[in-house]
Amino acid sequence: MEKRHPRILFRKRLKELRADVEQMGKEALSAYRDSIKVLLKYDEEKIKRIVETADKIDEMNYNLEHKTLSVIASEQPVAGDLRFIETCIKVGGHLKRIGYLASNITEVAKKIKDEEVPEKPMDDIIHMADIVENMVSKSLAAFLGQNMDIARELRRDDDKVDDLFDRALKDITQSMFDDQETISYLVYLLFLARILERIADRAENIGDRTIFMITCKKP
Amino acid sequence: MEYIIEVEDLNVYFDELHILKNINIKIPKNAVTSLIGPSGCGKSTFIRTLNRMNDLISTFRRDGTVLLDGENIYNPKVDVVNLRKRVGMVFQKPNPFPKSIFDNVAYGLRVHGINDKDVLAQKVEEALKSAALWEEVENILEKSAMGLSGGQQQRLCIARTIAVEPDVILMDEPCSALDPISTTKIEDLIHKLKKDYTIIIVTHNMQQATRVSKYTAFFLHGEIVESGKTDQIFLEPTDNRTEDYITGRFG
Repeated sequence: MEKRHPRILFRKRLKELRADVEQMGKEALSAYRDSIKVLLKYDEEKIKRIVETADKIDEMNYNLEHKTLSVIASEQPVAGDLRFIETCIKVGGHLKRIGYLASNITEVAKKIKDEEVPEKPMDDIIHMADIVENMVSKSLAAFLGQNMDIARELRRDDDKVDDLFDRALKDITQSMFDDQETISYLVYLLFLARILERIADRAENIGDRTIFMITCKKP
Repeated sequence: MEYIIEVEDLNVYFDELHILKNINIKIPKNAVTSLIGPSGCGKSTFIRTLNRMNDLISTFRRDGTVLLDGENIYNPKVDVVNLRKRVGMVFQKPNPFPKSIFDNVAYGLRVHGINDKDVLAQKVEEALKSAALWEEVENILEKSAMGLSGGQQQRLCIARTIAVEPDVILMDEPCSALDPISTTKIEDLIHKLKKDYTIIIVTHNMQQATRVSKYTAFFLHGEIVESGKTDQIFLEPTDNRTEDYITGRFG
């Protein structure tokens, strides 16, 4: 057998990239969780922190890109290593977007904080928000653990979110018909449903990138 | 796809050492094929079987066939000089003859009976142009080849090889003794030459393999572990041993 040359420095740099993505994922997930909390119980301080976290994730994403470019230039990775690095860049982009979408949720929270939101559409939204939180969490587990099964589950979860989104639209518009006074703030609930659906898409995409990283095939 | 070389069940031994084991590979015509693998895996021995250079080693034995355009090159009737005209070779270290630049390129032509001065001059010029060296040497053709830089000497060796219009050019790590600029020139040249020639290149430089070749074969312990399109080998190798080698986990 040939002498093993583990490329110690290179392996260390790959581990660092993984740790960076993991950290970005934690920040994004925490920003998202907090944004849902703020929706249910308005909290100015928390909103401030969420907005700061979104900017922080953006900053981390630039750093991640710098690091990946440097690893590509100096180590000239191929095969699984190259696919991993490419996926880090893609996942970083999705996490950054999730951070900003969480920040957008706080905008909605500001608009509806003093309103009496009808129960039915709010239930739809909360149900969606739960699944989406689980999806973001799963997407990180899929990527970090290179787990195809979890990545595939995300596709099914996203279908569920899409169904709930359709139902939420129906319930929101029904509430608007029932009481036209509510339109001025229920329209923000429509935005909210849309934001949640987009976060679910991002999580599903992270799963898809994970499948591509492992198989080099379109999922 | 058209194949110029087809190797079937090739085994090579030096004394009792089994160097190449059951090699089966087809080399596509007018394309570049890279051979990669750790030192001692049999790449060089393999390309030397393609123009019977190993015949010069007394302990060499082989079985299996190597077909060049459908003809077995190990058939006793094959004229080895003519075979080596059809399958030329460029080595790791530039090895110009201690002669003038002109005579280096004209050497093979003269061996093959071309002595007409005008014809020689024309063919030498064509070969030097093909090897992207003409502009640098057109005024010093009578000077010694030994005065050229390493990169120029290597291109001269390529000119010498293509002067006799081979079908296949074997290159055994042609850039490993060259600086980056000379390496780039040789790689550009390989791109240009593949239109007219089939090129098989042994390289230890993974990036070079991805840059210059359309097909790649990975050798390990005298066997071909995996061969196919270069993109596939370097992006999604199917064998773990290939992945381990190209990502630098051993070698």
